Amino acid sequence: MDKKNKSDELVIANKKLAFQDEEKEKRDAELLIANAELTFQNKEKESRAAELIIANEELSFQNDEKEKRAAELVIANDELTFQNNEKEKRAAELVIANAELAFQNNEKEKRAAELSIANIELAYQNDEKEKRAEELTVANKELAYQNLVKEKRAAELAVANKELAFQNLEKEKRAAELIIANKELAFQNKEKEKRAAELAIAVKELAYQNSVKEKRAAELIIANKELAFQNQEKEKRAAELIIANKELAYQNLEKEKRAAELSKANQELKNAEDDIRKLNEELEQKVIMRTAELETANKELSSFSYSVSHDLRAPLRAINGFARIIEEDYADKFDSEGLSVLNDIMDNSKRMGDLIDDLLEFSKLGRKQVTVTEVNMNALVNSVIEDLRFEYDEEITTFQIDPLPMVNGDQALLKQVWVNLISNAIKYSKNKSKILIQITSFKKDGSIVFKVKDNGAGFDMEYYDKLFGVFQRLHPIEEFEGTGIGLAIVHKIISRHHGRVWAESVLNEESSFYFSLPINI
Amino acid sequence: MDYNNVTILFAEDSTYDAKLTIRALKKSGFANNLHHVKNGVEALDFLYCRGAYSSRKLNDHPRLILLDIKMPKKSGMDVLAIIKADPELKSIPVVILTSSKEDPDIKKCYALGANSYIVKPVESDNFFLAIKDLGMYWMVLSQPLD
Repeated sequence: MDKKNKSDELVIANKKLAFQDEEKEKRDAELLIANAELTFQNKEKESRAAELIIANEELSFQNDEKEKRAAELVIANDELTFQNNEKEKRAAELVIANAELAFQNNEKEKRAAELSIANIELAYQNDEKEKRAEELTVANKELAYQNLVKEKRAAELAVANKELAFQNLEKEKRAAELIIANKELAFQNKEKEKRAAELAIAVKELAYQNSVKEKRAAELIIANKELAFQNQEKEKRAAELIIANKELAYQNLEKEKRAAELSKANQELKNAEDDIRKLNEELEQKVIMRTAELETANKELSSFSYSVSHDLRAPLRAINGFARIIEEDYADKFDSEGLSVLNDIMDNSKRMGDLIDDLLEFSKLGRKQVTVTEVNMNALVNSVIEDLRFEYDEEITTFQIDPLPMVNGDQALLKQVWVNLISNAIKYSKNKSKILIQITSFKKDGSIVFKVKDNGAGFDMEYYDKLFGVFQRLHPIEEFEGTGIGLAIVHKIISRHHGRVWAESVLNEESSFYFSLPINI
Repeated sequence: MDYNNVTILFAEDSTYDAKLTIRALKKSGFANNLHHVKNGVEALDFLYCRGAYSSRKLNDHPRLILLDIKMPKKSGMDVLAIIKADPELKSIPVVILTSSKEDPDIKKCYALGANSYIVKPVESDNFFLAIKDLGMYWMVLSQPLD
């Protein structure tokens, strides 16, 4: 039983094995097919990979092309934008041109109406001319009649002329006879005058001899009187000499007295001079001392300026710098309000720095030596405008500069004056569509006055007294930037040239700033 | 601590200015080997390998020295005078930093042989720009003497 069982089990086991062998062979066959499949798939993958590489290259080439095309499109867009702008400009010009044409048509119609009135006028004038022509014909006839009358009168005059000519001949004959009779009379007169002259000479001779004798007698009488007078004079003179001698003696005494007084006065003068010399020496000593004190004060001021500038700037730099670091590194932790406050901190610390710099600049000005040379104001103004050319728009800004006179002054300081005045004119005109800045000069009361006029924002004359003060501003800083030191500097420089500054303005319309320099500095 | 291979020696007593300057140099990529000292004495100790710096190699000079002009103990000008009088050190470019262009010592520094000076601006953009330009000029464009 056991054996039977055992053999049955073996048969079953054999069958199982045979079945498993069959399965294994089947499986081998399937594996062979699967391998072949895999090999085939690998080959496919390799060829696909190769295709992908090629496809990638293609794509990267296409991407490059696209970027190039995009760059070209950007350029093309710029070009289009530019062309559109041009078209808009052209359209605006056409609108203006159309308006111009319409205006010209109106003008033509007006002109045509005027011409028709003129034609009517002409027709009326032609009528008038014809009337006048008729009147002229009548007048001509009148004239012809008058000519006839004149001819008759001319014939009568010719007869009268002949009569006159005959009478003239008769008069000439009579005149010739009179000339001969006159000559005869003149000869007889000359004979009579000769005889009279001879008689007169004889009478004069006699009279002269009588007068000589009388003169001599008179001279003798005078000579006697003279002698008597001279004797009297000599006696008088002797008496006077005695008096004069007494007088001289008295005067000598006086002179001696006076000499004594003078020598005393001289001594006093000498003493006074000594005193003055002493005082002068003391004064000089004082001046030297005072100068030294001033120099010390100046040095102290300089070192004060330096420490103001150094020590005040350092914390500002820290405030500004660290605010900037917060902005750069922690911007994501702030909302827009916080960022705006940070910006306010930076703006204000920067502004404080500017104020310190300006204040120092201003205080240095007071201590700076003024070096006077001859200054060509036109050249100076032109160089200032050239330096400022980045601050104004040439399209809308016009400078009108008169010929300006030469002046004596400190070239660098006067340049600063022009820079401040012209840049102010530019700055405060920036809201106008057309800017006109006029620079002129004129003589007044021994000074040359220079004027800078603009058509900008102007200022209210009510606040005029603040205009030239340090850090005074008449406009909000959001509207026009700056620390408010510019005009204070102008004022100080011109004062140091012994000149004057002033201004006038109409709010929102124009301002004029003037400065005068004495003609002889 | 290794004090060798320092390219910039930076002497500045103000902590704030030092922070800002080092940040600006870092941002421009010049601060990799920067060493900061807080007064003139420390700067000289560094250069002459004394005290805390005794382990430094004597001939390992920095390529640029930045000196604040106003420092306690020994000022920037004192340090400058010593550097420029030393034949071993005088070829190292020295840039003077000051807070104010009013500084009366700027002229003296030039007379002593300073290679340039920088007025530290209040406005931080300009400050960073100035420091960056300084690094660019003295570290990149100027070749050290061999």
